[in-house]
Amino acid sequence: MTDITVPEDLWDTDDEGVIFSWVYADGALVEQGRLVAELTVEKAQLELNAPASGRLTILAPAETVVRKGTVIGRIEPV
Amino acid sequence: MAQQAPGTGGSARTLTMARAGREAVIAEMRKDPNIFVIGEDVAKLGGVFGTTVGMAEEFGAHRVIDTPISETGFIGIATGAAMAGMRPIVEIAFVDFIGVCFNAIFNFAAKTHYMSGGQFKVPMTMMIGYGGGYNDAAQHSQCLIGTLAHVPGIRIVTPADAHDAKGLMHSCLRDDNLTIWMVHKAIWGLGWLGTAIKTAMATVPEEEYTIPFGKARIWREGTDVTLVGYGITVHHALQAAEKLAADGVSAEVLDLRTIVPMDREAIMKSVTKTGRVVVADEDYMNCGVTAEVLATIAERNPRILKAPAVRVANPDIPVPFSRPMENFALPDADKIVAAAKATLKS
Amino acid sequence: MKPTPKQRIWMYEMMLKSRLFDDAVFEAYWEGKKPVFHMGKGPLPGEMHQSFGQEPTAVGVLAHLGPDDAVGAGHRPHHVAIARGVNLKRMAAELFGKKTGLSGGRGGHMHLYDNGVNFFCSGIIAEGMGPGAGIALARKMQKKPGIAVAYNGDGAVNQGAFHEVMNMAALWKLPFVCVIEDNKYAVSVTTEESTVVPAWQRAAAYNCPGEYVKGNDPDLIFEAAARAIQHARDGKGPAILEIETERLHGHFIGDSAGYRSKEEVAGQKDPIPLYRKRLLDEKVLPGADMESLEAKVKQEVDAAMQFGRDSEYPAPNEALERVFA
Repeated sequence: MTDITVPEDLWDTDDEGVIFSWVYADGALVEQGRLVAELTVEKAQLELNAPASGRLTILAPAETVVRKGTVIGRIEPV
Repeated sequence: MAQQAPGTGGSARTLTMARAGREAVIAEMRKDPNIFVIGEDVAKLGGVFGTTVGMAEEFGAHRVIDTPISETGFIGIATGAAMAGMRPIVEIAFVDFIGVCFNAIFNFAAKTHYMSGGQFKVPMTMMIGYGGGYNDAAQHSQCLIGTLAHVPGIRIVTPADAHDAKGLMHSCLRDDNLTIWMVHKAIWGLGWLGTAIKTAMATVPEEEYTIPFGKARIWREGTDVTLVGYGITVHHALQAAEKLAADGVSAEVLDLRTIVPMDREAIMKSVTKTGRVVVADEDYMNCGVTAEVLATIAERNPRILKAPAVRVANPDIPVPFSRPMENFALPDADKIVAAAKATLKS
Repeated sequence: MKPTPKQRIWMYEMMLKSRLFDDAVFEAYWEGKKPVFHMGKGPLPGEMHQSFGQEPTAVGVLAHLGPDDAVGAGHRPHHVAIARGVNLKRMAAELFGKKTGLSGGRGGHMHLYDNGVNFFCSGIIAEGMGPGAGIALARKMQKKPGIAVAYNGDGAVNQGAFHEVMNMAALWKLPFVCVIEDNKYAVSVTTEESTVVPAWQRAAAYNCPGEYVKGNDPDLIFEAAARAIQHARDGKGPAILEIETERLHGHFIGDSAGYRSKEEVAGQKDPIPLYRKRLLDEKVLPGADMESLEAKVKQEVDAAMQFGRDSEYPAPNEALERVFA
């Protein structure tokens, strides 16, 4: 099982971000390296790729406020 | 995203309109070296609305060209390139800025094929954002779709969700005419207008697909009243239909999808069934898309109407800056509900 | 012609007022926009193009203008409006979209109009050129004193309107000064990437004076503006005054300007502390007077912002008014 964590280097400041959208539904199969979620911080739109392949569990739905290091989802191998 | 080969994903993806449209552009550019993008801030910035993010890196500065602020010039240049066998994509971020280049569009790009008796084609796609609702005032909030639709020789497509954004973009890029692909800023999926509008996001196949011009889409079936819209007003109409359903009214939501050509058969078919119609548009009302929809009914068979039609559109005022006045000017679900109820009274 | 001590103090005061206003607007702009950024939320919605760094271009030119003259600004108008003496309370109220605003909330920050001081804006690039020269034409036709000054960014010079209007203004010897604020960027596109021959050199094509002022320095801008404006006042026709300046922030609030290098941004100089130091060093304004001036300006800006905040919104259906005269 691999956590999907908001990377520390995704943006420069200490501001909070927000999950703009999930590309896949909860329970969907995702592939490592592919875009899984979009985040926004202030006006910037940022991309988050799947850290592993497997079944996606969404822990923080769209519109959730997040910080760097927040675990927003999980990927379990199938 | 740019580096992913199509067809390798696991599950279905839910994309924003921005991403879906971009996917179509990238796919077509990979296949056809004659396609290039030209406009202000498209290369280094990736588009004021992020329409071309990553494209300069993939395709190079010769195919993703930053221009000076010279719209009439670069649209003319793109038209000439199209006449000579290229297939330009021209971005104008805000439709409001189109005023300065009407001559290049109206009198040249749109008419060249006709005036030359078909000798010259202008396979050019313009990519334009429109609409208000975020207090950007009168020079950055217009729709101007009725204005553009008035001139012959231009196809105008106005997708309302990500699925249609991709399919219609493929259709535009494969068409040999001047096409204008227009997305309302509030549903596009831009990072500066809140989080994504869920009804504008959609499952988007990895594969390429096209959507024919002039085919409306029924988003929701109903029997009591037809709510006609396109772009953002489809989403207002969907919300209105929910509210009407709670009051026992069954509303059908018809999305025009393309303004030119307009699917007049679909309008007649739906309104024949329901007998009542509300047409919603964020554009100016006078001589606009709403009038064209109702003219269709008036010409073909006004007897299908059981009640006078109602239009919900900008009441012919410049879009005001201040929030309460802007909200007054723009359509929303409540105004559509009120209009639908008005048609049901008679 | 060098600025007098009084003029220099005025220039500092106006630059400071613009800066403090922009500081206050910047802070208020973020209210209601975090963590989810939606441009339409908060007390100050909409796009916000601020003047940080460009204050000298306004004061150096407008120091020469009187009540008969007219000024047009672009989409980044705060510094020009303030130096022109636009009513600050009503300007703040306009930004807040209030009934007491300059246009009753119809215009917003890109569309500031104050007929009392002959001031207008254009949110569309280069479209202030025509109306600016048109006001100059009216002055000439009506045999009234006064010139018109139109502000444009460096990006605007590649619009047809720039060329067309300069040609006519020169042809008809209109009392018109075209100011180009060269902040080196048109959103993300640099002047080098967009412009083969800069505007001031193109003056040769219109047979009119053209000058480039380096250094973003109010005193130098003042001197160059004196020449351009005198030319226009003397009935000799238009002039082009291109001024090097700095855009210290992004194109608008929220633009992180990722297209600029960190070194380039770090190398930018803020003109206001520099000018403050000069006025202190040259004893134009002794320390105590400086502090009381700054306190006065701060108070004025705070009062204007408070007025804007506290004012009432227009009624929704006021939107229908003022479409026609």
